[in-house]
Amino acid sequence: MNNMSLEEPAVQFDQVSLSYGLDQDVLTQVSLELHARSFTLLTGPSGAGKTTLLKLAYLALLPSSGQISLFGINTNRLNRVGLAKLRRRVGVVFQEFRLLDHLTAYENAALPLRVMGEPERQYKDDVIELLRWVGLGDRLHARPETLSGGEKQRVAIARAIVGKPDLLIADEPTGNVDPEMGDRLLRLFQELNKRLGTTVLIATHDQHMVENAGAEVLRLADGHVMHQVSNSPSFTIS
Amino acid sequence: MSSSSLLPQEDARDAALFFVVCALCFLGALAALSARAAYSAANDWTNDVTGQITIRIEGTPQHLEKALELTRGFPEIASARALEKSDAEELLSPWLGKNGVPEGLPLPKIIAAEAQPNAKNMGEKLQSAFQQNRITATVDDHVVWSEDVRRATDSARLVALVAVALLAATAIAVIAFATHAALLARKEIVNVLHLCGAKDSFIAGLFERRFLGLGLQAGTVGAVLALCAAAFLLYMAKQSDGQVWLLPQLSLSMVDGLILGLTPIIAGLSAMLAARITVIRSLAELV
Ligand SMILES: Nc1ncnc2c1ncn2[C@@H]1O[C@H](COP(=O)(O)OP(=O)(O)OP(=O)(O)O)[C@@H](O)[C@H]1O
Ligand SMILES: [Mg+2]
Repeated sequence: MNNMSLEEPAVQFDQVSLSYGLDQDVLTQVSLELHARSFTLLTGPSGAGKTTLLKLAYLALLPSSGQISLFGINTNRLNRVGLAKLRRRVGVVFQEFRLLDHLTAYENAALPLRVMGEPERQYKDDVIELLRWVGLGDRLHARPETLSGGEKQRVAIARAIVGKPDLLIADEPTGNVDPEMGDRLLRLFQELNKRLGTTVLIATHDQHMVENAGAEVLRLADGHVMHQVSNSPSFTIS
Repeated sequence: MSSSSLLPQEDARDAALFFVVCALCFLGALAALSARAAYSAANDWTNDVTGQITIRIEGTPQHLEKALELTRGFPEIASARALEKSDAEELLSPWLGKNGVPEGLPLPKIIAAEAQPNAKNMGEKLQSAFQQNRITATVDDHVVWSEDVRRATDSARLVALVAVALLAATAIAVIAFATHAALLARKEIVNVLHLCGAKDSFIAGLFERRFLGLGLQAGTVGAVLALCAAAFLLYMAKQSDGQVWLLPQLSLSMVDGLILGLTPIIAGLSAMLAARITVIRSLAELV
């Protein structure tokens, strides 16, 4: 959106460590850089700290030490309003979706726009169009409790991308769907990345995805991040 | 497609809170009405008698003349007159009937005087002036009595004001407590809105509006109930000839209307403020 800041790395971790309370470090002095418009997968064993790393990147956690910058903006220097505004440039698909039970699929998907204070008439058609695009055109008024796992996931994805974020972060987005739907979702993320230049960071266990995405892969183990490039970019984009 | 509220509709907790705020507003409005009644009762009674001086002269009509002259000589005295036989007849008519005071009945020699509002110690000044002129007179300026009334109503007023203050503080504490509970129950909503980039003021605004509405509604119901209670007391007082202390002052005046009108507004605003403080404080725990 902001062309100046698109030249900066979308995400930059500088010697970032994190521990919960007095426990041992989950992340130890992690440094990494995601270039603008890059597509990155984050993998590693369960409990390695993938979700923790993503939480730091979408500003739900503060590092115990070190520095995190998004789009070249040092988050340590921001006040609460500044952090809120920066969060609007980041779309997140949570591991457990976190849809609001009392809102419909449409209302859940529109949430980020509503939070920004946009009037409904300005976004209504776009949100409906987006939900059609993820295959939920006939479930607009359904509440989350009546949706299947895969449908919830697609509402969560719609909510994450509805504000055309500069950075999309997804935590196990294919965890609850069959391989076919997993491929569709991956294609959707790749399309966003190619068409809108959205930087994408996805945490996944899904070995199939790691092998087929043709993306840079970060492997997290023992609190450290190792780079590894997927060597079979067999996935093609329509 | 009209979007539903970002906060779910009220649940059982909100109904309980509504009841509590309503009861507190009822008690608060009644206490304020009583304080107002005590205040104007004190004012009316003391205003009635302050400045009124009654002087009874022992002696001849010449003494009365002289005393009247002395009394009028004080610049602080606005007016003074001797009570005539007709005044005495009017006062005594319940006992003596329409025939008037029988000839030969000795009538007390009384001067009714009125002092300027800012006059001080007129009783003592008059008394010493009469003494210097060797006139025996009893001067009653009602000071002792009006001081008694003032003391009694002052303490009633203080008690009522303390009650109002306590009730207001309790209401705010209860609302803060309830907001906190409401917030805990809706923590996930708050967290998700926060992660979607909502500013603290946006999230606080949702709760502020909800609790402003609750306070206004509960306050209105409480004030209306207080109005009914006051009207009932007034009605009972009228039935019993209005001879009950304090109650004759409970005529619903402009000030009472103001108290009843302000009750919901104060309840609403304090609910809103309590919600704001509680929400902002809990949000500070999120990054
Ligand atoms: N809120 C928390 N408080 C304390 N410890 C936590 C908290 N969240 C995570 N942890 C711990 O931090 C470590 C990393 O957790 P995290 O959720 O980041 O792993 P993960 O790689 O996402 O795992 P998975 O693949 O199962 O989702 C784990 O040992 C976990 O127990
Ligand atoms: Mg995880």
